Amino acid sequence: MIRLFVICSIQFFLLINNLSAQTGYELAKKLDNKDKPQNMTSRISMTLTNAKNKSRKNVMISKTANQSQKQMIWVLEPKSDRGLSFLKIEREDRKTEMRIWLPAFNKIRRINANRRSNSFMGSDLSYEDMMIRSLDDNTYSRLEDDHVDGEECYVLEVMPKPGITTSYSKHRTWVSKENLQIMQEASYDKKSKLKKIKNFHYASVNNYEIISKIHVKDLQKKHKTDIYFDQVEVDKEMNEKIFQEKSLKRLPLY
Amino acid sequence: MTSKNKEFSIKFWITRKVIENPLKSILFPLVFTSIFGLGMTFIVVDDDMLAMLPDNMSSKLSWDAVQNEFGSTESIFIAFGNKDKTIFNKSSFSDLWKLTNALESRAEIEKVTSIANLPKIENVDDFLEVHSLQPSEELDDIQINEIKKYVYNNQSIRARSISKDGDYFNIMVQPNDSIAHNVVRDIVVEIGDSLLSKNYEIYYGGTAYITGSVPGMIKNDISKLLGVGLVLMSLILLVNIRDLFAVGMIFSVIIQSLIVMAGLMGWVVYLTGSENFYFTIINSSMPIILLTIANSDGVHVVTKFFKEMRHNGNIKKSIAKSIDTLFVPIFLTSVTTIAAFLALYFAPINQLMGYGICLSAGILYAFILSLTFLPAAMSLKRWDLNSKAISQNGYLENIISKFGKLVISKPKSILVVGMIIMFIGTAGLSALKVDVNIANFFKEGTDFRNSIDFIDQEMTGTMDVRIRVEASIKDPNTLNEMQEMQKLLNSNPKVTTSYSIVDVVKQMHRIFMDDNPEFEIVPKDEKKVSNLLMMYSISGDQDDLNTIVDYNYKVGLITALSRVMSTEEIIQFVKKIEDQAYNFKHISNTSITGMAIVVRDLIYLVIESSIISIFSSIILICLITSIFFKNFSWGLLSIVPLVTAVLINFGFMGIAGIHLSHVTALLSSVIIGVGVDFSIHYIYQYRRLLKDKVRNGISNKVINEVGYPIVLDAASNMSFGALLFSTFIPVQYVGGLMVFAMFSTAFGTLTLLAASVELLKTSYSR
Repeated sequence: MIRLFVICSIQFFLLINNLSAQTGYELAKKLDNKDKPQNMTSRISMTLTNAKNKSRKNVMISKTANQSQKQMIWVLEPKSDRGLSFLKIEREDRKTEMRIWLPAFNKIRRINANRRSNSFMGSDLSYEDMMIRSLDDNTYSRLEDDHVDGEECYVLEVMPKPGITTSYSKHRTWVSKENLQIMQEASYDKKSKLKKIKNFHYASVNNYEIISKIHVKDLQKKHKTDIYFDQVEVDKEMNEKIFQEKSLKRLPLY
Repeated sequence: MTSKNKEFSIKFWITRKVIENPLKSILFPLVFTSIFGLGMTFIVVDDDMLAMLPDNMSSKLSWDAVQNEFGSTESIFIAFGNKDKTIFNKSSFSDLWKLTNALESRAEIEKVTSIANLPKIENVDDFLEVHSLQPSEELDDIQINEIKKYVYNNQSIRARSISKDGDYFNIMVQPNDSIAHNVVRDIVVEIGDSLLSKNYEIYYGGTAYITGSVPGMIKNDISKLLGVGLVLMSLILLVNIRDLFAVGMIFSVIIQSLIVMAGLMGWVVYLTGSENFYFTIINSSMPIILLTIANSDGVHVVTKFFKEMRHNGNIKKSIAKSIDTLFVPIFLTSVTTIAAFLALYFAPINQLMGYGICLSAGILYAFILSLTFLPAAMSLKRWDLNSKAISQNGYLENIISKFGKLVISKPKSILVVGMIIMFIGTAGLSALKVDVNIANFFKEGTDFRNSIDFIDQEMTGTMDVRIRVEASIKDPNTLNEMQEMQKLLNSNPKVTTSYSIVDVVKQMHRIFMDDNPEFEIVPKDEKKVSNLLMMYSISGDQDDLNTIVDYNYKVGLITALSRVMSTEEIIQFVKKIEDQAYNFKHISNTSITGMAIVVRDLIYLVIESSIISIFSSIILICLITSIFFKNFSWGLLSIVPLVTAVLINFGFMGIAGIHLSHVTALLSSVIIGVGVDFSIHYIYQYRRLLKDKVRNGISNKVINEVGYPIVLDAASNMSFGALLFSTFIPVQYVGGLMVFAMFSTAFGTLTLLAASVELLKTSYSR
């Protein structure tokens, strides 16, 4: 979920008149350079809905640090999964460490970082969707401008460079011209078939435009996920030592 | 105006219209027929056996709930391979991959399950990982051996995906619920044959394949044999009536009635959308029934016309006399038969309502045509009084005359012999068995039967039992009760495999616990089950589980696949399952469905429908004739041939081991439809002669008058014995039983009824 935060909750201050003339890379760089909170705590409600319109809900606590490079998530609901927790640490060398705590088995297990397409908690977000998309791992090109929810947007095509491990062939990202917020993203699978569409909504917290809701739709599985963020706190004092294995076992008071 | 006057005025009006303006009497029905005929384009063919079940029946409710939650449970199986050659080789896996992908790409197919797309759960770095069992189209020997090892280590997967000897792959195709099975069946066969036919033996089976194939096959088979039957019928009529035009006109009455019946079916669907008027496997009997009834009306009119022409030589007089004599009996036979078929409204099988209404409309139209169109057409021809048709008795006519004398000379002996035959028939009733399983409809040795038998014997089987459980599925108590149910299911030797979420949980538990077989058990803690499922959702596809558990883990489905079971086996098996389900302590709600249950319920429905249909129609007929003849004893006599024929026919089926099915059950309708015609014609003629003060040799005269058309009608209807050459066992039975039914109804009328009336004649003469 970090990547979503990174891409989508970036704060944007620079509104310049000649944006339309910029290249895809320049636009991506501006997005990447947007100011973002150093750390954040939030409560996440995630509703999963299948093709038959049946839903189930998870409630989690999330803590991020280092501009979302570190993240811990603890499951509060459903009761049968309460205490299950997840740790992710993205390192500079692009190696990502992921751990999961299975309280019923009293075991911590490593999640193979190579399986980036694995689903996060059965949602339509994969681990790859939650990771920071490094600026230099992709090429960027501008497509014809478009509208999302009546808002004028730049459209950016993001293509992974050869050799980059990814489960996608490309993404199309709609970026608001008004405030450089990502409004929508379409992701294509390796066969170039449209796989997912994500829509983002924002709320203002401490001068940051933080994502308040993500709607993800897997068009191939006809499955959708709605993620709501509330009780958001940003840049509060946070002990970074909590981002380690042993903290997985300790469900924080919230 | 009294009813008698009314009767006379209608008769007179019809006679006047037919004689004065025959062209109008011909053209008006033709226009009417054409308008109704347009409705045939709206006929909807439905191959869904479930549509026969009433909406409030528990197995139907469970079935609908299961289809809604878990998708279609009726599957098509494709088995391919070569006998005694292992299927675990590169080219077979490549072909399996291609086949699976080709099937998955079709919107008409909801889900395909084969080794090519099954998940493989394994322990990677102490974490539960779910991969594709077959990772790609092209495999090397090591990958093939890994797949083989995995499949052989997982009994449930093995039973569902390969044959017992490992020489055939099995692919399970789940049709999209909204697509007719015959459409999916054609797609599956087309894809399967195009990809596999060069290098493999291919077998198709499964309930969706059978139900998708059978209605069309039966329709084609019956259509072909009906054509043969019609040719035979026309030949029999031609030999006896000896006039092509007259036979042609009888056929015109039959065909127009059929068009109106079928057209009405289409129009009702078009105007109301009612599914009760869809054309199902049951409705395939409608043409035969209407044919026999319409033929009866036509034969009576034509033979009477010729008889009158022989006496007076005047066309108009003969037409008038024929209508005068036959109006009431044909009206009465039509009313009673219509009442009998409308009584099907109360039968529990949904389609029987539309069946009864449309058939009644056809019978009514046959009555109208027989007394308007047919005499009008006959009146237009310039008849040669010296032709054999008019001047000479037919062959059957002469035989009947001699036969009549014999019956009347020994009424007591005839009655005793008839009673003995009836008692033998009644004794045979107890041996009558019901079988509605359409897998048993095919003769052994035919390609279709061989194919479904292969799937049934070598692969997963044809039938299924589904047990839907409502409870917290993650609760180990629930899982243990489900496991106990699976043990019961697996204890049946006909069950090839059973599967549920329990198998997945146990497998995950074992794999997560370092692949230690000791942990292939349901975990004791609900949180462990939940953690395992969470791990599955991380690397696996949630859709993998959607055929065994609902999205919220509140409803689970246990599936047992089995070989074809006999009716008795099904009933006993279901009873055991119900008993076990009754003893569940943690599962709050259980419902049982699946094709085996549907078959069981259909058995009950067929029996119930047959009993309701037979009893209500016989009572109605008795009442109507009693009211009409103003004498209850005549009413009772009118049902003598029916009751006798029904008892003898069903008794004979019991003795001969012919099963009662939703196809053979139509015999009771034919017997009642035709049998009542015969007895009413006989009684009406007897009473007419009584009124005319005929006393001496009255029974003989009646047999001379109505015996010939009755026997000619029965003989021509026997041409449907052509159905004996059908490839479908029940249709063969229908063919054989048609001959038997015609014989028994005609014989019953001319022996038992004639003998009874003869013995009681003194009381009637008073």
